[in-house]
Amino acid sequence: MSTTFDELIVRPLLHSLSSCQDNNAFYIEGCFYSYRDMAEAISKIRAVIKNIPEVNVGLVANDDIETYASIFALWLEGKCYVPLHPEQPIQRCLDIVSQVGMNYILDSSEASRYKDIQVIMTHYLSFDKLCLEYTDNFSDDTLAYILFTSGSTGKPKGVPLSRGNVAGFVDAFYAMDIKLDSNDHCLQMFDLTFDLSVQSYLIPLLVGACVYTVSPKRIKYEAVFELLDEENLTFALMVPSVIHYLRPYMDEIDAPSMRYSLFCGEALPLDDTECWSRCVPNARIDNVYGPTENTIYCTDYIFNREGENKESNGVLSIGKSMKGTQTIIVDEKNEILAANEKGELCLAGMQLTPGYWNNPDKNQEAFFLKDGTRFYRTGDICTMDSDGDILYFGRKDSQVKIQGFRIELSEIECVARKFYDNSIAVVAIPLYDNNRNCTIQLVVESTDRASADTLTNYLKEYLPPYMIPQRIHFLERFPLNVNNKIDRKKITTLL
Amino acid sequence: MDKQQIMTELNTIFCQVLNKTSLELCEETSAKDVDGWNSLTNMQIISDAEKHFNIRFKLREIIKMKNVGELCDTILNKVSI
Repeated sequence: MSTTFDELIVRPLLHSLSSCQDNNAFYIEGCFYSYRDMAEAISKIRAVIKNIPEVNVGLVANDDIETYASIFALWLEGKCYVPLHPEQPIQRCLDIVSQVGMNYILDSSEASRYKDIQVIMTHYLSFDKLCLEYTDNFSDDTLAYILFTSGSTGKPKGVPLSRGNVAGFVDAFYAMDIKLDSNDHCLQMFDLTFDLSVQSYLIPLLVGACVYTVSPKRIKYEAVFELLDEENLTFALMVPSVIHYLRPYMDEIDAPSMRYSLFCGEALPLDDTECWSRCVPNARIDNVYGPTENTIYCTDYIFNREGENKESNGVLSIGKSMKGTQTIIVDEKNEILAANEKGELCLAGMQLTPGYWNNPDKNQEAFFLKDGTRFYRTGDICTMDSDGDILYFGRKDSQVKIQGFRIELSEIECVARKFYDNSIAVVAIPLYDNNRNCTIQLVVESTDRASADTLTNYLKEYLPPYMIPQRIHFLERFPLNVNNKIDRKKITTLL
Repeated sequence: MDKQQIMTELNTIFCQVLNKTSLELCEETSAKDVDGWNSLTNMQIISDAEKHFNIRFKLREIIKMKNVGELCDTILNKVSI
C-alpha cells in the first residue's frame, strides 16, 4: 500500500467530502456542520488562495468551520499552514510571521488584528461552486504545517513538518489497529498551535466521522466532560491533566460509548489511569508519546485493565515505537545503552521533521547522524526494557510541560531579564503542589516589589497565557551552589 | 446568607487563588474575562469554595455554571438547604 500524503490523506478526505455529504463533519460551539458544509467552505477559500504565490500561509487558529476548511484548502493547493493563536500576544505572532517571512494570512475573525499584511477574511467569502478537483502531485517534501514551540533563547522556534511526515504519522496510526468509521464521535480539544490537534481533526475526517471541538473560551476539562456526557464520544485524545482535574468527580462519570481513550502530551499517572478506566469501561486506553519534531506521536503503550502495567515512579510507560519510527536510548557520546540503562531518548524515521526553521545552531545541537540515520535528541531521560517498552524519568534540560504545553523556563527568564534591561537576575521555577499540579513561579533578585505588576504586564506582551508565572517573588540575594551558580533547588525551598 | 454576601466571599477566594490584590467580580464574569482563571485555578477556586461554604458540588453542576452569578446561585441553593 502506498504511504504518500496524496494516498493516505488527500484521496480519503476527498472521498469523505463527496460520499458522506450528509454526515456531520464538525460540532463546534453547539452547531453541527456537514461534510457538504465543509466542502463548500473549502471550495470558497480554495478559489481565493489559488492566487497566492507563496507556499507558507499564516492561519489565525480560531475554532470555526472556516479555519478547519482553510487547512484543507491550503493542502489541496500544495501549501503549508502556520497557525497563529488568536489569544497569544500580537508581538509573538508577528515574530512568527516575520521568522517565516509570510505575506498572507487567512483569518476567519470578524475583524483582523493584522495590519500591513495581506489578510484574507475567510468568513466573508461567498461560496460559488464546488472546487474539489485534485490532479496535482505535490512532493511529499512539501511542507504541511509549521508549528512554533517555546524556544530557550527567548523567541519561539519553528518546527516544520512535511506532507511525508504527516503521511508517516497516518500510516503509523493505522498500524495501531484503531478502527474508526463514519459513526464515530471524536474529540478535538487542542488549540491548532498544538500538534495533537492534527491527529484530532484529521483522522476522523479521513473516515467520514464527526469531530467535536472544545471552545477555547471554556475551561477545558469541563467542556470535555460535557461532550463526553452529552454527545457520546467514542474516540478521544486528551492530555492527562484532563482526567487529573476530573479525578475528584470520577464516581459521577460513566462513558460506556467511549471505544478508544488516548493520552499524550505529559506524563500519565498510573493511579489516574486506573480510576479513569472505570469511567470508560468499554474503551481501550493508550498512552502515546512524541515531540512535535517527530509529528504528533510515535510510541504507544496499551493500558492493561486486567493485570500489571509497566511504570516508573507511578508514571505509565510510553510503550514501544510505532510503525516507521526508530527509538534508541543513548549516552552523552551517542552510544546506544543496554536495556534498562538510563539515557536520552532519540528518534528517527518517517515522521522526523526536516529540521528547525532557519535555525542552524539548534539543528546542529538537536540532530545527529548515527550509522547513516538522522536522529533527534528529545531531551527526555528514559530507559528501554528488553521488550522495547520505554519508561520516562524526566527532562535533561529546563523544559516543563503544563497541560501538555511545552515551556522552556529559559524563555520566560529571557523575557523577564529584558524587562530589567538584563541588569537583574531572574529564575523561573516549576512548583508542584500535593496533587502534582505544576505552576510557574518567577523569582527576581531584587527588593523592588513595586515592579511586579508592570513586569507581569510586560510578560503578557510577549508570552502566551500558559507561560505567565502564577506568582512573582523577590529575593535580595540568590543563593549560590558550590560551583557559584544560582542554586535553583535552594530557591525552590524558599518559596 | 444572601447572594451579595456569597459574591463578596467568593471575591476574596478568587483574589487568593489568582493572587490578585483586587478583583471586581460581577454576575456575568466568566473564565474568559479574568486573567489566570484557567483549568488549574478553576479547580482551586471550586475546592476552596466547597471548603469555605461547607458544600459539595456535583460535576454536572460545575459544568452548567457559565459565570460567577450562576456559581453564586448554586452555592445559595446549597447553603439554604
